[in-house]
Amino acid sequence: MDYNVIIDNLPLYLNGLWVTIQLVVIALVSGFGLAVPLALMAVSKTSLLRFPAKTYIYFFRGTPLLVQMFLLYYGMGQFEAVRESVLWILFKEAYWCAITAFALNTAGYTAEILRGAIEQTPFGETEAAQACGMSKSTMYRRIILPGSFRRALPAYGNEVIFMLHGSALAGVITIVDLFGAAKIVNARYFVPFESFITAGFFYLCCTFCFVWFFKWVEKHWYAHLRPRIS
Amino acid sequence: MDNRNTALVVEELHKYFGSEEVLKGISLEASEGDVIAMVGASGSGKSTFLRCINLLEIPTSGKIFVRGELIRMKQDRYGVTVPEDLKQVERIRTRLGMVFQQFNLWSHMTVLENVIEAPVHVLKMDKIEAIERAEELLHKVGIHDRMNYHPAHLSGGQQQRVAIARALAMEPDMLLFDEPTSALDPELVGEVLRVIRQLAEEGRTMIVVTHEMDFARDVSSRVVFLHEGSIEEDGPPGEVFNNPSSERFRQFVSKYVEQ
Repeated sequence: MDYNVIIDNLPLYLNGLWVTIQLVVIALVSGFGLAVPLALMAVSKTSLLRFPAKTYIYFFRGTPLLVQMFLLYYGMGQFEAVRESVLWILFKEAYWCAITAFALNTAGYTAEILRGAIEQTPFGETEAAQACGMSKSTMYRRIILPGSFRRALPAYGNEVIFMLHGSALAGVITIVDLFGAAKIVNARYFVPFESFITAGFFYLCCTFCFVWFFKWVEKHWYAHLRPRIS
Repeated sequence: MDNRNTALVVEELHKYFGSEEVLKGISLEASEGDVIAMVGASGSGKSTFLRCINLLEIPTSGKIFVRGELIRMKQDRYGVTVPEDLKQVERIRTRLGMVFQQFNLWSHMTVLENVIEAPVHVLKMDKIEAIERAEELLHKVGIHDRMNYHPAHLSGGQQQRVAIARALAMEPDMLLFDEPTSALDPELVGEVLRVIRQLAEEGRTMIVVTHEMDFARDVSSRVVFLHEGSIEEDGPPGEVFNNPSSERFRQFVSKYVEQ
């Protein structure tokens, strides 16, 4: 096995790592921002709000991420109307196509995680909020959502790792992310094992960082669940 | 009967759950400073009645006046009774402190955060002032040393005392207790009853739904006995316990005395 090739191409990998981090972080942040209103719509009693949210969640959980990304990257250019609209700024570039697809996808999954967490809110807690005269919006902001985020955290941590691994698909549409970098190294020197195990190693490091981060958040947020050590 | 202000008037309250009528036209009047003990068997409707007062349950018909103000109700397009003005309901709820059987503290907040939450975010009280007042109240209910604990790290009795402090923090005109000691281990009941007794002695207006007959006898100024959704007995404790007019109440009390 020849690892000198890898060492020589380390800058390419590090660049790829940086692109992967950008893709994942931008997608996660905007996806989460989209997921909160979606989840609130999904638990609404008004079917006019609930139905679109449920359909959205169903679609993005029901189709492969690769298909969604191809639809945006290859599919959108087919429509003249899209090519001539402002959206084209987004869809003409693989980078933004990937981010949009990832964000929309993770929003669907995250909304479903949050919906479950919101519906698990202990009934007594909302009742106590009502009893002291809280308005519905204050109750969501102060009682239901903070509690739901905590309940959703373990499942969301999983979703973040799935998103990280799913981001490797970006390498399929010409983006030089970690996986893209590995593909290039392999194509140039034909060292498939070395090139992909290196990418794997970097993904492992990222996963470790995320896991560690979520552990840290849990430690702060879950103080109310930890047994008290006296 | 006297010149105290009326705190609460309930007229002909009916409540149906489906086709079952759980409250069959209850009328009740409470003056300021009244401590009303509501007793009755499980399923007699006493908790439902209490929860109708602050509209946690929406009564099917009847009128509720809190300090003379009628809670306005209307029929929605399906013929279901709903509050006409949610803002009014929210405002009136801030005047009625509620303490629940299961405490219902907000689990992600500390004791102190639980107590200042509604004053700060509903009454828009200044946070520093709210904290000062919360500390006083926690002192009063004897849980000052656990201010930064989370509810899960407290015993049931401690949680219930925090819940009482949380209700008091709103400076309500009236306190509603929904079986405040029913979920507690027997040895923890005393500490909660002591706090409630102290509040009664301060002259606060309260309605206490309870199974504690000793408490009803010693602390309340009036005992109301509910049976199958109707008031069967209503009067000062000395009168109703010694000389009940209703045979059912006599049986009900004797059951408790035996225990």
